[in-house]
Amino acid sequence: MTRAHELGILEQIECLAREHVGFRGELRRELRLVEDLELDSLRALTLAVEVENHFRFCIEPEIEARILTVGDLIDVIGAHVEDHAD
Amino acid sequence: MLTDTIGGFLESAKARHDVGLRFLDRQERATFYSWAEIWRRASSVAGRLHGEGIEKGDRVALVYPTSIDFIDTLFGTILAGAVPVPLYPPVRLHRLDDYSAATARMLEAVSAKLVLADGRLRPILGSAAAAAGPPLGCRTLSDLAQKEDVTVLRSGDDLALIQFSSGTTVHPKPAALSHRAVVAQTKALNAHWPDEDGCINSGVSWLPLYHDMGLIGCVMTALERPGTMTLIPPELFLARPAVWLRALSSYRATISVAPNFAFGLCIEKIKDEQLVGVDLSNWTIALCGAEPVVPRVLNRFIETFEPFGLRSSALTPVYGLSEATLAVTFSDLDKPFVSRRFDRDLLSNAGRAVESEDGLELASLGRPLEGVELRIVDGDRSDLPPGVVGEVLVRGPSVMEGYFDRPNATQEVMRDGWLDTGDLGFLHAGELFLSGRKKDVLILRGRNHAPTEVESVVDEINGVRSGCSVAVSWLPEGADGELLMLLVETKRGADRPDDAELVDACRRAVRVSAGLELDVVEVLEPGTLPRTSSGKLRRAESLRLYLAGELVAPEKMTPWRLAGAAFQGSLKLARLHRKNRSRG
Repeated sequence: MTRAHELGILEQIECLAREHVGFRGELRRELRLVEDLELDSLRALTLAVEVENHFRFCIEPEIEARILTVGDLIDVIGAHVEDHAD
Repeated sequence: MLTDTIGGFLESAKARHDVGLRFLDRQERATFYSWAEIWRRASSVAGRLHGEGIEKGDRVALVYPTSIDFIDTLFGTILAGAVPVPLYPPVRLHRLDDYSAATARMLEAVSAKLVLADGRLRPILGSAAAAAGPPLGCRTLSDLAQKEDVTVLRSGDDLALIQFSSGTTVHPKPAALSHRAVVAQTKALNAHWPDEDGCINSGVSWLPLYHDMGLIGCVMTALERPGTMTLIPPELFLARPAVWLRALSSYRATISVAPNFAFGLCIEKIKDEQLVGVDLSNWTIALCGAEPVVPRVLNRFIETFEPFGLRSSALTPVYGLSEATLAVTFSDLDKPFVSRRFDRDLLSNAGRAVESEDGLELASLGRPLEGVELRIVDGDRSDLPPGVVGEVLVRGPSVMEGYFDRPNATQEVMRDGWLDTGDLGFLHAGELFLSGRKKDVLILRGRNHAPTEVESVVDEINGVRSGCSVAVSWLPEGADGELLMLLVETKRGADRPDDAELVDACRRAVRVSAGLELDVVEVLEPGTLPRTSSGKLRRAESLRLYLAGELVAPEKMTPWRLAGAAFQGSLKLARLHRKNRSRG
C-alpha cells in the first residue's frame, strides 16, 4: 500500500466516523478505536457496518478481533483494496 | 407429532409453500424460504445431528447471525429431540477476551454437548469451546455428514429451549422452557392478532434471534400461524434504522416489535429522503417492550412518521421477560396507547400511585395475556390493593419451569408456580404500570446487563477501592432511555489519582470491556455506599440515596465523636424511660 493510498483510506474512514459515529477531531493511525474514538458497542457496530459498506467487503470476524487501532483498520482495508485492484 | 410441541407447529406448517421466512441482506435484497422448505432443511439437519450422536434432551448451543443457518440449526435441533440454546455473537470491533469467557460460562451452565456455529464465527469460538469442552466440539453445519432425515417425537412437558435471561454473562441464568410453555405463549400472542376481514398478518423483525422477543415473538408466532416474517440482521438496523421502516412498507407488514430505544434511534437517525415512497399505513401493531417505555419517545415517533402513514393507534406498550417465555401483559391493540401522570412524591416516597396533572408520566402496559395471572405484593407476599406499589408476580402456562440446573437461583424467583419478576409496579384501572425494580439489572438499549459486568471491570483500576463500586441504571424524568451510572469508592492514600483521572479510567475500561458508555460516574469517599449487615453492597438503595441527594461520606469516628454519640444515646434512653414511667 502506498502512502497516498493509506492517506486516502484514512480520510475516508474519518468521513465515515464523522458522519456516522459523531467523531470530532483528527484521525491518526495510532488512535485506538474503542478507547480513543470512544466507540461503545452501538457506535463500533455502526462504524464496522459503514466501513464494510463503503469499501464493499466483509471483515472476517477472526481478522476483526485483531483490529484495535485506526492503523489496523487501514491495513485490513488496504489489503482488501490491493486484492481487488486488478 | 404432538400438537403441543414446536415440532407439532413445524408439522402443521410443512405443507405451506406460500408463507415462510424472508431474509434481507445488506443491500435489502430478499431471500425467501417457505415453511415447507424450512421443514425439509430442518429434518435433514436433525438426521445429521442424530448421526453425530445427539440424543433426546441434549443441549446444542447455536452461535449464528440472523440467517437461514440459524433457522436450520434451531429447528433441526428441535426435530432431533434436542434442546437448542441460542447464544449471542461477539460485539463488533471489540476485544474477544470477555466475550470468550462469557460464552464459555454459558456453555458450561447448560452442559452443552455440541456447539454449532457460523463458519465465519467458529474460529473465534475456539477458546470458549476449549474452556467449556462440549463433548462433540464446535462445528459448522457443513461439518456434519449427510444422514437420513429424522424427526424425534417430544411431549409438551419436555424441555424445548433454553434462553439466557439477557444480562447474565457473569452468572448465567438459563431459563428452561418446556414445549408447552413456548406453545402456550405463541398461541396466546397469535390470538391477539387473528387474520380477519381479509387481512393476513405478516411481520418484520430486526431483533436478534438469540433474544426472546426475536425468537418467540417473531419466528415462533410466524411458524404457528403459519405466516410470513421478514428478518433483518440486527446490525443492519442499528447502523441504518431506515431499513426497518422500508421493509415494513415494501412487504406491507402489519406487526413489528422493538424496544423503546429503537423508536428513539429512528427519530434521531432517519432522514426523510431515506423514506421516499414509504407507506406505513399497514403497520397496525407496533409493539414496544423489553425495557421501560417512555411515552414521550412514542409520541415523537408518531409525530415524526405520521406523514408516512403511521397510525397513532399502532404503538402498543407491552411487558414481559424471558423467564415468562416472553409476554406478560399487552395494551389494547386498536386504541392509542395510554399514559397517565402520577404524583412524584407519593410514588417515590409512599409507594402510592395517585393521579396528578403535572405528575410523572408512565405508560400503561395493559392487562395480562389470556391465561396469565398477575399479583402485586408486599415483602411478605401479601396482596396489595390497586394503586399501591409492590413486587410484580406472574403465574401462567408460559412461565419457565426454572433455571436450567440452578435450583438455588430458581428458588429465589419461583414459589408455588409464581414467578417473582423483580420489577416494581402497581395496578391502576386494572392495568399494569411499572415504577422501578428491585432486581439488580442494568437495562440499556433493550438489553439487560448484570451490574457485575461493569463493576468487575473497574475493580482493578488504580485508586478504586476493591469490591466497592456499584453500577445502576435508571430512567430519569425527561430522558429518552435509562442512564448508566457508576458509583465508585476511592482508596485513601497519597498515590490516589485525582478524581477526573479516575473517572476517565473508569469510562475507558467500561467501554473497552463491556462495550457500554457510562453516563454518570460519581467518585465517593471510602464507606459511602450502603451495605447490608453482611457487608454486601445495596445497589437499589445506593441509587435511591443518590437521587435523594443523601449519598454522603460517613462522618469520621474520632474518640470525641464516639463519646458524644454514646452520650446522645444515653440521653435518648433516659428520656424513653421517663416517658414509659409517666405512662405507667
